[in-house]
Amino acid sequence: MSQDNHSNNQTITSDLLVVENLTTTFHTARGPLPAVGGVSFRLGAHETLGIVGESGSGKTVLSRTIMGLQPRSNVEVGGSVLLGGHQIVGSSDDALRDIWGTKVAMIFQDPMTSLNPVTKIGKQIGESLRVRLGMNKAEAKARAIELLTLVGIPSPAERYEAYPTQLSGGMRQRVMIAIALACNPTLLLADEPTTGLDVTIQAQILDLLDELQLTMKMSVVLVTHDLGVVATRTDRIIVMYAGRIVEMGTTKEVFRDHRMPYTRALLESTPRVSNPSHTRLQTIPGRPPNLLKLTEGCAFAPRCSRAIEKCSKERPDLEPTGTDGHYFACWNPLDASGAPVISTTGSTKEFGEDNVRS
Amino acid sequence: MSEVNKKVVLSAKNLEVTFRKGRQRVSAVAGISFDLYEGETLGLVGESGCGKSTTGRALMQIVPSTGGQIFVDGDELTSLNKQEARNLRRKMQMIFQDPISSLNPRRRVKDIVAEPLDCWKTAKGAERDAIVSDLLNKVGIDPAVYGNRYARQFSGGQCQRISIARSLAMRPRLLICDEVVSALDVSIQAQILNLLEDLKKEYGLTMLFIAHDLAVVKNISDRVAVMYLGKLCEIGPSNTLYDTPAHPYTDFLLGAALEADPEIEQSHTTLGGEPPSPLNPPSGCRFRTRCPSATEKCAVEEPQLRDIGDGHQVACHYPLIGANQ
Repeated sequence: MSQDNHSNNQTITSDLLVVENLTTTFHTARGPLPAVGGVSFRLGAHETLGIVGESGSGKTVLSRTIMGLQPRSNVEVGGSVLLGGHQIVGSSDDALRDIWGTKVAMIFQDPMTSLNPVTKIGKQIGESLRVRLGMNKAEAKARAIELLTLVGIPSPAERYEAYPTQLSGGMRQRVMIAIALACNPTLLLADEPTTGLDVTIQAQILDLLDELQLTMKMSVVLVTHDLGVVATRTDRIIVMYAGRIVEMGTTKEVFRDHRMPYTRALLESTPRVSNPSHTRLQTIPGRPPNLLKLTEGCAFAPRCSRAIEKCSKERPDLEPTGTDGHYFACWNPLDASGAPVISTTGSTKEFGEDNVRS
Repeated sequence: MSEVNKKVVLSAKNLEVTFRKGRQRVSAVAGISFDLYEGETLGLVGESGCGKSTTGRALMQIVPSTGGQIFVDGDELTSLNKQEARNLRRKMQMIFQDPISSLNPRRRVKDIVAEPLDCWKTAKGAERDAIVSDLLNKVGIDPAVYGNRYARQFSGGQCQRISIARSLAMRPRLLICDEVVSALDVSIQAQILNLLEDLKKEYGLTMLFIAHDLAVVKNISDRVAVMYLGKLCEIGPSNTLYDTPAHPYTDFLLGAALEADPEIEQSHTTLGGEPPSPLNPPSGCRFRTRCPSATEKCAVEEPQLRDIGDGHQVACHYPLIGANQ
């Protein structure tokens, strides 16, 4: 579990990943676009952190920036990402290459476009083993088959010779996981690893990640838009909106005692299997802001039912709630002792006018 | 839940769709039968490749059905000639998954919505404009501000609203929604689901709601049908089916659905394996290769949909509830 005073500059050695005031700005033809606008958090060893948010909230850009995958041109990265003592921001490609695979690895959303369609999967898994760990061909092959077994691919020796197109979506994602885990990384970044997979396959992949995290003693960052995925699979979560963290804390705390209205709105607009059919969903009026036109105040203020005057003038910073690493950024937060949102079954209270106006 | 009277709007009888792939045949929909009652929403769920979208498309005859019958208000759709089928299809409209690609980016919103009216010449001039404005207002888009904009200027959620407005222009009785919210963010998804519920009441629509998301389907449907590899496994009232699933596959599907609540004890029975290829489906019950309670009987004899009370039907020899055969 990470320490509370994250504004404090001293590095706590137990934290595997320390992100300080990270910003990623794209220089576009229409001006600078702050995709990530000052994000700070820590991740302990063996911990699973969920990053949730809607499309355009900056969660994918954040994970790519942590990995050091941003292109050099037209992107400006500020702040610091310390991964096990290595500074990622501003590192040379050579330095990053030493970290990739062995320290940090990433799984992407679409396994088909991430795999090379004209190379056998066995060779793709073996590639990093040979380059990074200096194995010879036979060793790499043996280890690749071991990895295929580890990620639950049936008849791995035969599949070693298969091309990605011969595998189903779930199997391809397993291959991606095998590639990511080949060099025993200490941190695994999983960007929407189960989006696009069917629910039964999604459950298989999440179970697999859980199991591998235990056996390989990794930390995992799970980036997703699906609150159901983070609810049971993470220790802590970060809720992002318009490139910033609006709330973070232990998963239970954030689901039960969230203080930021956006977190509640997100939870209440999610349909639930446990609710009876025709339960009226709460909606958030409007849509996410244009990052090119962010104002001084809180980015959520125009859609927020609790917005006060201060909200549109001054941006709230992350403030501790007092309990165990739980932070939120809001001028008019929800009551801590407020009724748990989850039990308001059948409530027809509207969050605002259901309307889209750009 | 709304009171469902028993007038049948659409009825599929042993509907089949077979695609050819070289010399092979894929039976995407392998003989399914169901009725859609007036004013109800029937949810159709299943994993990718189970034939749920093909079913929706076959009902609209976007893909030709290769067997079985489709009755719309008593008329048999597949036996009609082209013109008659066209006339009948005015009663049915479909909304698709990708809202942006289902609208022509270079046309103005009001022309897109008016297209059905222009095609059928049902209204023109001021009347046409009034209908269009009314429809756009109903879906929450201000016609005075946005009517003259192009479709490409709108976000996914707004495009889906425009698609909905267009689908309502002919005052259809039946709306087939194919994964209409799966491309949208949760906050926008909730807006569209609420909008569909409101419009359904206002226009007295009957809906077939095809989706893979179990929570979404339960939220909007009166009854739910579960498909696996081209066959119906189970059909029943939403709450009953979700509370007490009878088919083992439905049970696994619900067990895999993740609830956005860390406090709920999630049932953890993960279904192993993947669906077999529809090119070569298993004999007997199509789920038997992954089913924990499968016996020899399942391989030999195909289970038929049968009643287990309260309009709940299941196609299984050993259902989880109800008496065994």
